[in-house]
Amino acid sequence: MLKSLTIIFLFLILGEFVNYIFKVPVAGNIIGMVLIFLALKFKLIKLEMVKPASDKLLKYLVLFFVPYGVGLMVHFDTIKAHWFSIGLAVLGSTILTLYLTAFIQEKLQKK
Amino acid sequence: MKTFLSLPVVWVFLTLAVFFLAQRLHKRLGWALTTPILVTIFVLILLLSVFDVDFGTYDSGGKFLSFFLGPSVVALGVLFYEKLDEIKSNLLPFCIAVFVGGICSILSLIFILMALKAPEVLMRSLAPKSVTTPIAIEIAKSVGGVPSITAGIVIAVGIFGNAFGIYILRFLGITSKTAIGTALGTASHGIGTARALEESELSGVYSGLALCVNGLVTAIVTPLVIDWILV
Repeated sequence: MLKSLTIIFLFLILGEFVNYIFKVPVAGNIIGMVLIFLALKFKLIKLEMVKPASDKLLKYLVLFFVPYGVGLMVHFDTIKAHWFSIGLAVLGSTILTLYLTAFIQEKLQKK
Repeated sequence: MKTFLSLPVVWVFLTLAVFFLAQRLHKRLGWALTTPILVTIFVLILLLSVFDVDFGTYDSGGKFLSFFLGPSVVALGVLFYEKLDEIKSNLLPFCIAVFVGGICSILSLIFILMALKAPEVLMRSLAPKSVTTPIAIEIAKSVGGVPSITAGIVIAVGIFGNAFGIYILRFLGITSKTAIGTALGTASHGIGTARALEESELSGVYSGLALCVNGLVTAIVTPLVIDWILV
């Protein structure tokens, strides 16, 4: 567990480093996600080396973003003032995305 | 009492306790509206208002939990590697579908908000609304949105996809289990994926992978689109 957690943090740091050096507009942890995927794909690291920690982290993923959700309380007024625009845009865009994605997948895939 | 309630550990404990109880409740009832994250946030905001504690005080404890979002996003890369084999035969159609769906989500959201003359900060906060919350939060930060607004709406989108996604797709004539999975994962991330898993194992795998791929697509495309449309 300690080893796998250390490796996960290593990739997090690598991602932050790439972000810092190249000033890309993509967050360090997302770059870390891509780097760890590539490292697994090209067999630089083995799945067993990272799986114990990654499974635990993903199991509690939802808990980790509770504080951001609670932070919504600070922005009640913004949301109240624009509830109609937000509602319409979010609903419309979500339904369109659902349908377009499913339609393309259904048409293109092998039966 | 006021000083005691401002100890960070009080809010770490309450977050854990409320989340634990919310999961129990959801296991018993199983409604989309009892999704643990929704109940937890609702109860915590209620507690904070009742005890008149501000968000900054809450977050002095909460930040110890949200800190783990960083390594969790890295762990999504591991999940993606593990599941990739299962869709090998349909990889290209899958990637095209998620890519187009992901871009459609960003553009349609921005265009509808522009048409309604909504403030720019909403576009910056909501553009990543379809991707998993930890990634959406990072994207919102990097394009000048408000991460808490992002988190709230992203969770709402997930619950919407979880509760209604499958009915909407069936109503529009979609029958394939893989297409339903891909759509739920692309449009409504992890919370939608939970529903896809209930539908079938196959839908669940496609949905889980779609949420990873769209997380990446949206992370790369959102800053470009925002730069291009909103100068």
